[in-house]
Amino acid sequence: MRKTLRFIKREYLAAVKTKGFIIMLILMPVLMGGSGIAMYLLQGQVDTKDKRVVILDRSGIVAEMILKAAEERNAAAVFDKETGKKIQPAYVFEKATPDAADPQAQRLELSDRIRKGELHAFLEIGPNVLHPKDDQSTFQIKYHAKNAAIDNIRNWLNNIINPFLRRIRLSEEGIAESKANEIMTWIQVDAMGLVSLDQETGAIKEARKTGEAEAILVPVVLFFLMFMLVMMGAMPLLQSTMEEKTQRIAEVLMGSLKPHQFMAGKVLGGLLVSLTGALVYVAGGAFFMGRIGLTDLIPFHVIPWFFTFLILEIVMVGSILAAFGSACNDPKDAQNLTFPAMFPVFFPMFVFMPVLTEPTSAFATWLSMFPLFTPMLMIIRKAAPGGIPAWQPWVGLVEVLLFTVFIVWVGGRIFRVGILMQGGPPKLSNMIKWAFRG
Amino acid sequence: MNVVEIENVTKTFGSVKAVDELSLNVPKGCIYGFIGPNGSGKTTTLRMIMNIFYPDSGTIRTFGEEMKGTSTDRIGYLPEERGMYKKMKVRDLLQFYGELKSGRKVDKDVDYWLERLELSDWGNKKIETLSKGMGQKVQFISTIVAKPELIILDEPFTGLDPVNVEVIKDAVLDLRSNGSTVIFSTHDMNVAEKMCDFIFMIFKGQKVLDGTLDSIQEKYGSDTLRIRTEGGRSTLDNLEGVDKITDFGKLQELRIQPGFDHQKTLKEIMSRTQVYSFELATPTLYDIFLRIAGPEAKEQAHA
Repeated sequence: MRKTLRFIKREYLAAVKTKGFIIMLILMPVLMGGSGIAMYLLQGQVDTKDKRVVILDRSGIVAEMILKAAEERNAAAVFDKETGKKIQPAYVFEKATPDAADPQAQRLELSDRIRKGELHAFLEIGPNVLHPKDDQSTFQIKYHAKNAAIDNIRNWLNNIINPFLRRIRLSEEGIAESKANEIMTWIQVDAMGLVSLDQETGAIKEARKTGEAEAILVPVVLFFLMFMLVMMGAMPLLQSTMEEKTQRIAEVLMGSLKPHQFMAGKVLGGLLVSLTGALVYVAGGAFFMGRIGLTDLIPFHVIPWFFTFLILEIVMVGSILAAFGSACNDPKDAQNLTFPAMFPVFFPMFVFMPVLTEPTSAFATWLSMFPLFTPMLMIIRKAAPGGIPAWQPWVGLVEVLLFTVFIVWVGGRIFRVGILMQGGPPKLSNMIKWAFRG
Repeated sequence: MNVVEIENVTKTFGSVKAVDELSLNVPKGCIYGFIGPNGSGKTTTLRMIMNIFYPDSGTIRTFGEEMKGTSTDRIGYLPEERGMYKKMKVRDLLQFYGELKSGRKVDKDVDYWLERLELSDWGNKKIETLSKGMGQKVQFISTIVAKPELIILDEPFTGLDPVNVEVIKDAVLDLRSNGSTVIFSTHDMNVAEKMCDFIFMIFKGQKVLDGTLDSIQEKYGSDTLRIRTEGGRSTLDNLEGVDKITDFGKLQELRIQPGFDHQKTLKEIMSRTQVYSFELATPTLYDIFLRIAGPEAKEQAHA
């Protein structure tokens, strides 16, 4: 035990006492959440150049409304009220007379103007948009632009043209404007949590309104955090074991350590590295959430499960990696074995979306009961709003526990032989032989 | 008392028999030299003593006990290829290896040995910055810093300049004086002759020599005529009763056939040239090594 502890200490210090560890601690979340953060930071970076759009209104009723709405929008949204700085592009619409004789020639001419950069887009409004019937081509509204599908102006037009036309239709039916407002009122379907019983007072607690953050952010953050921590603590074991073997350090260590002490020292050293990272992230995250008043979002009921499954995941994956590392003789061997060794971590990455959206489906349930994937998938299911039956994490835990014991045993036996076996690339058949025949 | 007792040990790797029915006893407090050509089984034998390899058959007892599954804390081992964490600092590495083996703080011992081997200034440098010779000395300290009772050194003098060879030799002799038993393998016959109480030679996995230098030389008898003449090597051709002539430039060694009268040889040489000096001697360990493992032995085997 003393020897194992001393070796764990070396492994732990060798990992955390480096600048690389500190940099990784900071960079990992940045890299993992990089795209999200970049999107958030770049949200304000919009092109403020005015957008000129030509309207070909064949209905004769819509263009004026658009001009007026654009004017109101430009007055309200283009300049920052406090600083006076331009923060949005102005929408500059101009009416043009549709060419009835040769509409295609007119479309081409307008398209060429867009290509030259003189215009941003042109809008064609069909003659029968107010009373759409029969020939669909007569009541279409077409927005032509270089990137029309993801153009903000198209969305803006959608949101003003349809209510406008509906109001006219209602008015034509003799419905008063006040009544029309009521008819037009859009009511959003709110996402709500489940009603529960307060254990202390016995009263029924109101369901909480669940935001997207709670529904997606919390499970996703926990899931990716576990992934990151496995990468931090377990992943380096493959390389470092291979190096210890090829640089003959293993031979010296085996003069003082037994193979199982050697492997335990490596795996538990890696575990401590991961737990250090976990503590930093969980404590830092909780502190940050507290500061911005989102303590409600911290899933306190999931955190003990997170740490339990994290520990088992690192021991399980770490043992596989150390065993594989002991069978390698050069970096190329280690590279080839990285993917199979990390499969228990990579596979959940491929399926996390369906598991997150339907955490109680048979697919999610059965996959999360497969011990190799249990730690990562069970945590995502447990953290998802609505939860899962209480027995499932417990059954998963027992399975993973037993499986981890088995993996550590197999890994230890492979390690014992592999660490001193020189020459030849690692073969699965050899490893199976070492594991079961010694 | 024997510190190591090897009995009929065989170890095979695939179709190669690395060690074949080997038996050997290493008494306490001696220096035992393992010699033999490359690939003859020296390192395999040392690794089996260390319990890194298990023999296929036979038994190995260290300190009177079979070691399978037991601790090797009483043994310090310097492997043939150096095994050190390149990113660790010298002092940290020595403390780590020492504590791992002894279970106690070894700071003072580390300081003592660093000073003795003139490495004090390098204590806070990383292993990767050391030269080959310095690395070798650090590895040597890591082997002995925990004060093991049995010290196994696989090629300890490789990569060292003559000054450092002397430093390590002195250290080894001191360790023996303080009660440790030392086994080391070497290709340097000169070192083996001068340092070892016992010499063991292994060839093709089998023991071919084992005993004190005197007893080994005695076995071969005084069959070597070491001679200095005016005419040198060119005057010694076609001498009756001479098996082999080894030319050292100013000096030649003549191996006399068993039973042949060396006086007759000497008279014949004196008739050809002026003899400055001569000595009837036992063969050197180097010569014995070559007789067993050199080209001459191969020729005899083919004949």
